[in-house]
Amino acid sequence: MNSKQNDNYDVIIIGGGITGAGTARDCALRGLKVLLVEKFDFTNGATGRNHGLLHSGARYAVTDPESATECIKENMVLRRIAKHCIEETDGLFITLPEDDINYQKTFVEACTRAGISANIISPEEALRLDPSVNPNLLGAVRVPDASIDPFHLTTANVLDARQHGADVLTYHEVVAILTSNGRVEGVRLRNNHTGEEIEKHAALVINAAGIWGHDIAKMADIKINMFPAKGTLLVFGHRVNKMVINRCRKPANADILVPDDAVCVIGTTSDRVSYDTVDNLKITSEEVDTLIREGEKLAPSLATTRILRAYAGVRPLVAADNDPTGRSISRGIVCLDHEKRDGLAGMITITGGKMMTYRLMAEQATDLACKKLGIDKACETATTPLPGTAGKDPDNPHHTYSTAHKAAKGRQGNRVKEIDERTEDDRALICECEEVSVGEAKYAIEELHVHDLLNLRRRTRVGMGTCQGELCACRAAGVMCENGVKVDKAMTDLTKFINERWKGMRPVAWGSTLDEAQLTTIIYQGLCGLGI
Amino acid sequence: MRYDTIIIGGGLSGLTAGITLAKAGQKVCIVSAGQSSLHFHSGSFDLLGYDADGEVVTHPLQAIADLKAEHPYSKIGISNIEHLASQAKTLLSEAGISVMGNYEQNHYRVTPLGTLKPAWLTTEGYAMIDGPERLPWKKVELLNIQGFMDFPTQFIAENLRMMGVECQIKTFTTDKLSTARQSPTEMRATNIAKVLANKDALSKVSERINAISGDPDALLLPAVLGFSNAESLDEMKQWIKKPVQYIATLPPSVSGVRTTILLKRLFAQAGGTLLVGDSATTGQFSGNHLVSITTDHLPDEKLYADHFILASGSFMSHGIRSNYAGVYEPVFKLDVDAAKKRDDWSVTNAFETQPYMEFGVHTDKDFHATKDGKNIENLYAIGSVLSGHNSIKHADGTGVSLLTALYVAKKITGKG
Repeated sequence: MNSKQNDNYDVIIIGGGITGAGTARDCALRGLKVLLVEKFDFTNGATGRNHGLLHSGARYAVTDPESATECIKENMVLRRIAKHCIEETDGLFITLPEDDINYQKTFVEACTRAGISANIISPEEALRLDPSVNPNLLGAVRVPDASIDPFHLTTANVLDARQHGADVLTYHEVVAILTSNGRVEGVRLRNNHTGEEIEKHAALVINAAGIWGHDIAKMADIKINMFPAKGTLLVFGHRVNKMVINRCRKPANADILVPDDAVCVIGTTSDRVSYDTVDNLKITSEEVDTLIREGEKLAPSLATTRILRAYAGVRPLVAADNDPTGRSISRGIVCLDHEKRDGLAGMITITGGKMMTYRLMAEQATDLACKKLGIDKACETATTPLPGTAGKDPDNPHHTYSTAHKAAKGRQGNRVKEIDERTEDDRALICECEEVSVGEAKYAIEELHVHDLLNLRRRTRVGMGTCQGELCACRAAGVMCENGVKVDKAMTDLTKFINERWKGMRPVAWGSTLDEAQLTTIIYQGLCGLGI
Repeated sequence: MRYDTIIIGGGLSGLTAGITLAKAGQKVCIVSAGQSSLHFHSGSFDLLGYDADGEVVTHPLQAIADLKAEHPYSKIGISNIEHLASQAKTLLSEAGISVMGNYEQNHYRVTPLGTLKPAWLTTEGYAMIDGPERLPWKKVELLNIQGFMDFPTQFIAENLRMMGVECQIKTFTTDKLSTARQSPTEMRATNIAKVLANKDALSKVSERINAISGDPDALLLPAVLGFSNAESLDEMKQWIKKPVQYIATLPPSVSGVRTTILLKRLFAQAGGTLLVGDSATTGQFSGNHLVSITTDHLPDEKLYADHFILASGSFMSHGIRSNYAGVYEPVFKLDVDAAKKRDDWSVTNAFETQPYMEFGVHTDKDFHATKDGKNIENLYAIGSVLSGHNSIKHADGTGVSLLTALYVAKKITGKG
């Protein structure tokens, strides 16, 4: 069962979120032999469960200048290297009648100190820029916020890591950290599809497992003081706002509204939860109520906009090592050298931070890894564009492309050229809401580690649109079958997919969302007999 | 304007009631907002497919006797079910909808995924099966139109194979169908049915099928024929050398659209008035009597009638609506049976019994709707708008629509 071939790496990175993917890329670019392992699918944790906001840093300017500076630097870097994942919307920080207008001055000064461009504009100008803004606003500040797609960003990092020689295993869960004489030597992995266990060896193991890093540390008899903080968000059925809308006050609950593709997202709440709930987060009516109440203050038209679904993620917050009570929690980047900290050689933990500072986190972890391995090569990730942004635009400017091609390009960037569009079969649409073609699904199945419908959704947005998978789920399952997935597995996947969509709809199941849920039930369970 | 009966809702139950009343000599008006749940029809009608424990029902009448008191069938009364069920079959056939099956014993239909579900009546030409161990074929060919994704042949084939049927998948196309494919959203069942309503286009299809088919016991085709009548199904039967049977596709349902068109036609022939694309907005009451209604298109005009029937469907048809605060009936603000707390409307697993499926208008034993606790003596509710039944768990949706419609029509004409 344990093949000894190909199981010796320089570094094994645990976690298929954006931090793990970014670290794998950085390590691979510096010439390390890399294995990236993920227990389920990429972006399954906090990476896939946040706003999709490319912070300008303005939000943190007053309360956490260090984070603010990090954000604006990374914001500018990502605009260059991950252009295809970003929509340059800019953001507004609005002051409402219940807010203190004097805060605006403090805010702008703090932004300026952090190097964030922050321009005060009149309420009229704010309404002209984004008519969805609450018309009662007293003032507004324009900042370089933007919208970023964490799914595609992760995919691009994984692809580049692979192109530089990294091996990638999804659905492989670390069940043991292998140690010998006070030194980490590798990991034992369980294949979560087959249950089979294998061992992989490396000079270094990097724990980039987000909140699950807590468990990984435990396996190595190390304690990291992690504090899971749940954040709940709501997705609305269409894109109400053009720009990111924030409140110009100290950061609080539900005060950011981000336009993402064809929808918009309000969030977040923030609640400490116990560690045993992180795999099964419950969204409460109170959280939903808060999000709706506060969201309507940012953009009143949200009151009459259908809510598509609710979701929650867990921020991997870490308590400072010198504070056993856990009261002093940092939202900044935490890079732990366990050799120094715990006397365990061969292991690094990279955690804390934010989705959009992943690259900097990866750089810090990789710098430390290189130092330990005696490799002297500078980080290039800040200047080397990711696949999708790299290279020339493949489209002929004189040619008219289909909307599905444009939609695919929005997701896959310049890699759109790898999608087969030659035959009618490939051009046929699976998902009409998000305009996903058979060709794009096939590309994802072949190139982007797609094992099931949930994976396909994250790579292509199949079933993420207004209908939440009414017809496309079955069509996509059919395409999966035609591309090598076993039929019985595809049927099980379909059931899981429908249940996963419902999971997000249930906390907001009233009005059109409940109507739509009933329709989906009538189609899949009534007409098709799924799950009966 | 004055009618004997005004029906709100032009789906299966509304049309059934309308036809019955118009044929009894009444002046009937149906206010129909648009598409109904027939657009998601399977080609079969069900009476009762599963009992309270989720077990497949073989003899519906016996199982109906065990239903709880709130179920519409219990209100109709077991003694009336047989008669109404035969009447429903007669009405369908009068409309030109030929169906096979009987109320004494369920058969099975083949779902678009190739699994079997119990059914009462199945449209002629559709695959109809006695039971999972008694499939009528040993060897079939599953034929699909190239690029038609709403007929998941892989699933159907695999499920048939699991039941011991040798199944081969083949695809075909014709020039006409290829042209239709140029627009990627054109490959939907009802659009294909429109293309194949042309006799030449259809004969080309039959030629292709004859050319590619081998020697199976049956050819299984997606149900994409017969948009407005069953002629093309008959023609295919003649032209294709092998026995052909149809399997329902993903929506929109061609058989459902055809059923709607044929029922509307029969309603018109019986002298009924159909207000298409209009919806009732409010009603004017006098005590416990509904005097008239107002519609969206005729806001200044009142429609008067002696009797009113609410056949407006469930949530998905907007006969029942919900908001943040509760569940309500939008036209008359009738009393509804629904859980008060939002958390109690549904459960976490999509495949478990969802309480909201049973929410609907509260009625007395004769299907009179109530408002503020009072019976409205001339307002009835029928079909999916009714509370007390779950069409997913019991497979009783179309049966409840047909039987409550016929039962209430009888009450109104004084023959019930």
